[in-house]
Amino acid sequence: MKKESIRLEAVNGVFRISLTVNGVKKNFAVKNNEFLLNALRRYGYKGAKKGCDTGDCGSCTVIFNGKPALACLIPAFTAHGAEITTIEGVGTVRNPHPLQEAFVEAGAVQCGFCIPGMILSSKHLLDVNPSPSEDDIKKYLDGNLCRCTGYVKQIQAVKMAAKKIKKA
Amino acid sequence: MPPIVVKPPTLQALWRSLPSFGGARRYLAGGTDLVAGANAAPAGVKARPKGGSFDRTEVWVDISGLKELRGIKETKTSLMIGAGAKIAELEASPLVRRWLPVLSAAIPHFASPSLRNMATIGGNAANASPCADAVCALCAEKAQVLLEFKGKRRKLALPALFKGPKKTVLRKDELIVAFEVPKWKHSGAYLKLGPRSYFGISKAAVAAALEMDGEKVRSVCIALASVAPVPLLAVKTANYLCGRMLNEENARTAAALVKTEVSPITDVRSEAGYRREMCGVLLERALNSIASGVSGIN
Repeated sequence: MKKESIRLEAVNGVFRISLTVNGVKKNFAVKNNEFLLNALRRYGYKGAKKGCDTGDCGSCTVIFNGKPALACLIPAFTAHGAEITTIEGVGTVRNPHPLQEAFVEAGAVQCGFCIPGMILSSKHLLDVNPSPSEDDIKKYLDGNLCRCTGYVKQIQAVKMAAKKIKKA
Repeated sequence: MPPIVVKPPTLQALWRSLPSFGGARRYLAGGTDLVAGANAAPAGVKARPKGGSFDRTEVWVDISGLKELRGIKETKTSLMIGAGAKIAELEASPLVRRWLPVLSAAIPHFASPSLRNMATIGGNAANASPCADAVCALCAEKAQVLLEFKGKRRKLALPALFKGPKKTVLRKDELIVAFEVPKWKHSGAYLKLGPRSYFGISKAAVAAALEMDGEKVRSVCIALASVAPVPLLAVKTANYLCGRMLNEENARTAAALVKTEVSPITDVRSEAGYRREMCGVLLERALNSIASGVSGIN
């Protein structure tokens, strides 16, 4: 069987794409000049933050097909068929993820703008490496900028979370 | 962005359907360069980068689905790295770690972890930025690049791909499909000077690969980033070092020589004079680190 090309064509400037967000199948109508970040926020996933829009700050980090990626640099139409996890899919207020608990306990959250990205990057780190060294954590959070703290508390938080997850 | 996006599943399907794609077209791989350029336009300014082909592009051909471009394979004499391989895949590859010490040393300096999950090695080359870390490292590894157009392939030495900043010798619709990197018994170092230790574009960077024959240098390849219009091979310096002892004195002479080979400019990131000076400093450090047996020190 010959596999044919997927052809997406914008009708009146709009692509229709289907994708999975936090385990739920969704259909999005996205503009042809729209980025995944804007599309996600328009459809209510406002946990992904719009910071620099050029891939520098990391506040728009989402898990895209299993790896942290920057939603501000992903043209929305290329997410057709993709699996995405946003911060909304990680934990809730009543039932937070161990990382989220640890960030609060360690006092790693000040203004909070960078935290969704930080949590998603750290979550992927702990998924692939359950006991990271301090150096691993620093290198992994390299692309997530925070302008409030000095990064010390976040690193502590990731260490705490790693312990919590191992105990559970 | 264009009104039409096509994502072919195989290379064959791409070449077969290419004529139906219409006018201007561009390949989209990781998107980190193609897309970021448009996003960085100042607020309120509607125009795309001046002279850029962004607005005239009618079709984007998404090549991220082509399985022919994926993977890292080993042959008897070389590693074949698919152009679609993500930088993060190279980072995790035992083959790369074993055979390509310069590239392994360069990857931690390549943007941030999340960008390394998105960016491809082929895109890094196609973008033809003189400061591309992975490309500079591959030049020092003596890599060749494989280009394909409608089933016809040609092979170039990687440095020959570049004509100038953001300019390559790629013909219309020609695609970078793979990099062929020879296996040779060398040590390497990649030293980069940027605004920070990690996650910054370099002011200058030096990639050095060296094979020893006892006390003497058998073969050496030195590439520099951000100090010429293209990723630069320091041929004179390499010729000087070849057959000589790897000691501090020769490293100092090589450092003086490399400064005559580069042609840096003053721009937002640094000044020409400083860049030239630092090429010498970085090369001397790189050679000394290799001499002391610490391969790939940063």
